[in-house]
Amino acid sequence: MTNINYQPKDYAGKLAKYFIRSPITTILGVFLLMIGYISLLVMPREENPQMVISGSTVIIALPGATANEVENVIVKPLERKLKEVKGIEHIYGIAMDSVAVVNTTFFIGEEKEDSNLKIYDKIMQNMNIFPRGVMMPIIKPLDIDVDIPVISVAFYSKDGNLSKTELYDKVKDIQHQVNGLPNVAVTNLKGGSRHQFNILVDLNKLSGYNLSMGQIVQAVQGLAYNIPDSKTRTESGEIIMMGVKNAIEDADDIGNIIVAQYMGSSIHLKDIAKIEKSHDIQNFQKACLTFRDDDGNFVDKQCQVTLTVSKLQGTNAVVIANAVKEELVKHKASFEADGIGFVITRNDGERANEAVNELVYHLILSIVIIAVLLIFVLGWRESLIVTFTVPAILAVTIFVAYLTDQTINRITLFAFLLSLGLLVDAAIIVIENIHRHLHSKESEGKDLDELMVEATDEIGPPTNIATFAIILTMVPMAFVGQMMGQFMQPIPANVPVALIASLFVAYIFTPYLAVRMLKRPKGDKH
Amino acid sequence: MFDKFEQLVYRGLDSSFQKSFAIIGTLVVLVLSVMMIPSELVLAKMLPGKNNNTFNVYIDLPTGSSISQTRVVAECVVEELKKEREVMDIETFLGMGSPLDFAGLIKGSHFKNHEYTSEVVVNLSNKHHRKEPSYLMVQRLRPVIVDKCQDIFPNTSIKFVEPPAGPPTMAAVVAEIYGNSAEGIRELAGRVKGVFAETSGLVDLDIMQDEIYEKVAISVNTVKIARSGLSIKQVNDVLYLALEGMSIAVKNSTKYDDQIPIFLTLQTEDKIFKSSSERDIELKLSSLKLMNVRGMMVPLTEVVEIHKVKSNPMIVSKNLHEMTSVVAETDMVSQVYPLLDARQNIIDNFGDRYDIEEVGLFNLNLTDKTTGEFYELKWDGEMKVTIDTFIDLGGAFIAAMVLIFLLMVIYYRSFKLSGIVLFGSFLSIIGVIVGHYIMDIFTQDTFFLTATSLIGFIALIGISSRNSLLLIDFTKALMYENGMEKRAAIAYATATRAKPIFLTAVAIILASTLLASDAVFGGLGVSLIFGTVSAVVASLVVVPIMINRVKL
Repeated sequence: MTNINYQPKDYAGKLAKYFIRSPITTILGVFLLMIGYISLLVMPREENPQMVISGSTVIIALPGATANEVENVIVKPLERKLKEVKGIEHIYGIAMDSVAVVNTTFFIGEEKEDSNLKIYDKIMQNMNIFPRGVMMPIIKPLDIDVDIPVISVAFYSKDGNLSKTELYDKVKDIQHQVNGLPNVAVTNLKGGSRHQFNILVDLNKLSGYNLSMGQIVQAVQGLAYNIPDSKTRTESGEIIMMGVKNAIEDADDIGNIIVAQYMGSSIHLKDIAKIEKSHDIQNFQKACLTFRDDDGNFVDKQCQVTLTVSKLQGTNAVVIANAVKEELVKHKASFEADGIGFVITRNDGERANEAVNELVYHLILSIVIIAVLLIFVLGWRESLIVTFTVPAILAVTIFVAYLTDQTINRITLFAFLLSLGLLVDAAIIVIENIHRHLHSKESEGKDLDELMVEATDEIGPPTNIATFAIILTMVPMAFVGQMMGQFMQPIPANVPVALIASLFVAYIFTPYLAVRMLKRPKGDKH
Repeated sequence: MFDKFEQLVYRGLDSSFQKSFAIIGTLVVLVLSVMMIPSELVLAKMLPGKNNNTFNVYIDLPTGSSISQTRVVAECVVEELKKEREVMDIETFLGMGSPLDFAGLIKGSHFKNHEYTSEVVVNLSNKHHRKEPSYLMVQRLRPVIVDKCQDIFPNTSIKFVEPPAGPPTMAAVVAEIYGNSAEGIRELAGRVKGVFAETSGLVDLDIMQDEIYEKVAISVNTVKIARSGLSIKQVNDVLYLALEGMSIAVKNSTKYDDQIPIFLTLQTEDKIFKSSSERDIELKLSSLKLMNVRGMMVPLTEVVEIHKVKSNPMIVSKNLHEMTSVVAETDMVSQVYPLLDARQNIIDNFGDRYDIEEVGLFNLNLTDKTTGEFYELKWDGEMKVTIDTFIDLGGAFIAAMVLIFLLMVIYYRSFKLSGIVLFGSFLSIIGVIVGHYIMDIFTQDTFFLTATSLIGFIALIGISSRNSLLLIDFTKALMYENGMEKRAAIAYATATRAKPIFLTAVAIILASTLLASDAVFGGLGVSLIFGTVSAVVASLVVVPIMINRVKL
């Protein structure tokens, strides 16, 4: 080591003294920048921060009961039981004719899996409180990640040739492909129609033949019956399989069902009803689409089927959105052949990426502006040193954020922007003090290394305590409750890390760079 | 320049007039700036609007409306939206919610499965190439669309739902009305909605309840049904089969993912009733026949009686108490002030029916004068979140002050010095509030004091205490190590430290300039910029004067 006689009193000086001539410093600097950059690339990106919101919906059907009855026999007892669960913030009960819905919301921050289990457990334990005739309760947990799609695509038939069910089938094929992509959680279809055989009875003919609806039901159910193959053996021990073929294959088979015998002649279903293989006519839900064509005019309203895709928790929305887009491109040829067009109606991945990139751009711009400012006040060498510390500090912060399973989102980046103004401070204070010492008369004969360490050590205690003060102001923010607290969580989580990193970087790298880049003023200014 | 400043401070410390002037002046400015909040010169809101590339329109017809009626309203909305140049595509979801989003999750969009509801998703051109922010666009379009489409069917509610800037809530203003009598709650909710309608700044009003509509009750004549050898189940089944239809069997399929249901119902033309009059209903039902145990056909109308009744509205309860909520969104204003107006209006005008008692911060208890029925009116929604958040952040602020004070006491072992540092940092509130006032003058829409402003303020305490700290430390070093006289030491320290204080302040200001342009974090940016300015003034003027009075 070198001949530094000065004995540092503070950690600031000790760090400066150790690293000022150490070969590790360069390696450390490069290493920090690299892990930061890698973390930035691999960290999942989202628009909004992850929020832990737990809750469940319990749906219980009691066919035929009025709203008042449902309230008395299902909602009230269930609400009382759910009150026993710890961590529930609100219970909402809704009693309608035939159906009871009970929503529970947990306090923000309650673990999702635990909460779901608690509700499930409570209901299963208390199945006996439900009245007779209720259907099995449906328990649907609330899951932000899985429930909220990150990308949605609306498919439509370009020339209107495809029937509703054909379009639905095609999209269903794509749905299966998309669902197979990595980290895709749930895919859903909205709109479109399913296949269905419809028996549309003519009321006049029904009464003409003196038939009832019940007879039709019996006749159809008698034939639409599937049983597994039965097997038997031959004398030589071989197996013979015998299967009864399904009697109904298409609409004609249904039409030929004999509903009743009347005066020796049979009445077929097709005599009293229209039978068609088409779509689910009872479904009133419908999705439509209109968009601007290439000329900027709105096309006529079209039927559409929307495919929604959601991601698993903690995965990268950007990557998934791009994967879905690629999958769609792969199917382009078959879409063309079938005359299917699509419009991407939501792309949270793109939104997240845009927001993140915009903020990264702002971050860099801010660093440049500060660097330019420092050039004027301190000189370009000093400015360069301070500017170098910023990426190093951010790199450490991003790496720590990565280790603690955070994602890059708007709020994390705002935390970085907020800390930017604070984290150059330590470096500025150090460099300013070095600058002052270099230009002061007392230090004229001193060794440069020693001067650096002394200057760093001198402002150590107040800088430490001041930085500690800022960290302390951030600590209570971590305890802010409610959604807002969750939403702002990245600020108290990242700003203190950045500040601590700024101290270390300032004490280690500022003297190291200063001793190599700064020179003593030639003329005696003072 | 710094030499001159040193002289100024040195002489300033000498003159008691200048000292008192500075201190009293600071106090006056402090009081005046804090007064800007209650006097509504600076308005508070949790989070301001955010410029988005999309928004949704929720359409709710009265309960019992049909899908074709809903479609008429939805088409009307879509036609209006098509006139907008910046609208790129529009998706209509009839009878269901749109693909779920953050706002929809809280507003219950995923439970929508009724003929009377519909959602419209509107995608706009990219916000970077669009002049008009989405929130201003919604504000402009709302009256146009409501005017044209809301009155096609009475009691229709059209709501505009924008992706929230922060955590989503049920609505900006939610009045929860609790009570024991369903009719009483319904009546009171109607009156509260009336008050909301009169309050300026509140839009998208709705009562979260089912409208009561007429329905046909078919009561079975038990004597007749027993004599004709039928059962009630048969009556129910045949009605359901004929009118709704039912999947009576399935066919497995190798080609498709689903089993194919075999669905039985009457053909559409036979299902349609001529009118909803009892005579027409009876006419139609008479052609439906049931087969009895003896194989004879009995017309349905032989065993039932038809009469009209009122529908059973759904019963909603929250935390085991029956409740109905009246919701409203705010039209580009903070929800705090319309809420206070509406509350005042209720207190002033509901006295004819109810005895009103104020409870808690804003809640009201109402007792019906004639029936003695008791109702509670509680505010929820964004208002509650705002109050909770501001209280929490206020608590965080106080905790931060206490922690800093403790740290200073440990470091300096002096209550007075610690107090000065704390007071100095508290002064940055002047900059925070005045900064918001200035920004409000210069921006197109209202610039609110938001939750992020408070976060900025909390961060500022740390920043300005650092300035004071560096100053005091340097002064002490000069006095004890260089043996300088106190006043000279303060002046010299102030002048020398002015440079790094300025530098770090400018760094913060520059870094925050880009924050200030953001909708959500604008408050944080403005807090930091203007707060830093006042913090610098405080540490270079007020703190030196004050430390001159105490023993260092």
